[in-house]
Amino acid sequence: MGLDYQLVLWNKHKKTYDKIVAISMLLYIVLFAVITVVFNSETSIETLVIRAFGSLAIVMLHIILAIGPLSRLNSKFLPILYNRRHLGVSMFIAALIHGGFSIFQFHALGDVNPFYSLFTSNMDYNSLTNFPFQVLGFFALLILFTMASTSHDFFLKNLSAIIWKRLHMLVYLAYTLIIAHVFLGAFQQETSPFTIGFLFIGFVVISSLHIVTAFKEGKIDRVKAEKDTEGWLKVCEINEIEEERAKIFTVNNERIAVFKYKGKLSAVHNVCKHQGGPLGEGKIIDGCITCPWHGYQYLPHNGQSPPPFTEKVATYQLKLMESIVYINPNALEEGTEVEPVII
Amino acid sequence: MNSGLRKAHKYSWLLLFIIIPLIMFFSMKHIALFESTKKADIEHSFSRVNPDRDFENDLIKVAFYPKNIEIILKTTLKNASSTVYTVDENNKKRKIIGQLTTAGIYFFDLNDIPKNIIIYDDIKEVLITKTNF
Repeated sequence: MGLDYQLVLWNKHKKTYDKIVAISMLLYIVLFAVITVVFNSETSIETLVIRAFGSLAIVMLHIILAIGPLSRLNSKFLPILYNRRHLGVSMFIAALIHGGFSIFQFHALGDVNPFYSLFTSNMDYNSLTNFPFQVLGFFALLILFTMASTSHDFFLKNLSAIIWKRLHMLVYLAYTLIIAHVFLGAFQQETSPFTIGFLFIGFVVISSLHIVTAFKEGKIDRVKAEKDTEGWLKVCEINEIEEERAKIFTVNNERIAVFKYKGKLSAVHNVCKHQGGPLGEGKIIDGCITCPWHGYQYLPHNGQSPPPFTEKVATYQLKLMESIVYINPNALEEGTEVEPVII
Repeated sequence: MNSGLRKAHKYSWLLLFIIIPLIMFFSMKHIALFESTKKADIEHSFSRVNPDRDFENDLIKVAFYPKNIEIILKTTLKNASSTVYTVDENNKKRKIIGQLTTAGIYFFDLNDIPKNIIIYDDIKEVLITKTNF
């Protein structure tokens, strides 16, 4: 959780993770270079750099796009989600090297402005085999730049989580542009079934993961709860909630997390104020509900982040009758204190 | 995420699930996927019979007609640039008549049919192939 906006919020795990990412990227580049030299020794160094970093960025983008749905389907992937932003910025650096070298190689050696050349050297928009694919890559790079430069918590805080999240959904547009860039560009010259197959299978895997997750989540949203005579909704049996964990419950498409801790029950809105992470999938650490995505914390009885932090989520009233937990579906003001139910 | 964002993600991916395969299909439509790996096996024939002259080597088949040239590029070239030039008697480049990209059949209309043509990589400045008459 950041009060002061440091350049990067390092911790031991993040450093280890970043080392793994950097070493993996380096290994990929070295391996790509060796394979290219062995099997296609005529390739120039500029072409090698362009292809190595371009393909590296695509591989990384696929991994990044898979992390979200994988962590929704299996909580073992959550530590990777926690570190996804660094992977995203690293991917942008790889894409920037690819784009920078391409613009230099193909557009900067003449006597016109390289960006003017990029947009005017090929205007054959009606052709599929000779489409100006570099323009698509340029726009994808602009989107990735916007995302990388706003990835810091400073922008998240100032843009609000909803706007930030919608801005970062532009990655889907970037992904589409990159697919078109590769298929209308490199694949028109290098028709290798292996590389085409890789991107096709990659797309099938990524889109299937996202769609399966979306339908699974939609199913949770549509669950209808039983009401008691006072309009309170039945959540579950008390023993269905694990100690220090929560049961997620849906009311009018909004999710609520009912936590059990130290012989008590409290309920808060399920959406973390930081990046919209699912609080109910986190656990109680040091007496605080801890978001599984980036570790933001809230006190269970009032939904407030412990001082000096100021984030607040809505709270709900609970009651326990004959081992069944009931909830008042009307949310209280964010940060409202609610006496926990004693078990 | 709240319900609205979950829906936005869901509809985005449903849309991409339709759009991206279309992009892949249309961009691959004119590509012979396995052509580059079996260039020697492919049999090509000119679209018209009885050209004035014709030429064939490992990379190309060329037919010269009274007002145009037909070039069959047997395999996609590895060169980033492959430009077709007419040449004079001393094999000096005279005029650009077009560009070759992927393997396939190319027609170039010309008023003045040359004796020979060359295919030249302007980036690396190397001769890729030429006709010999």
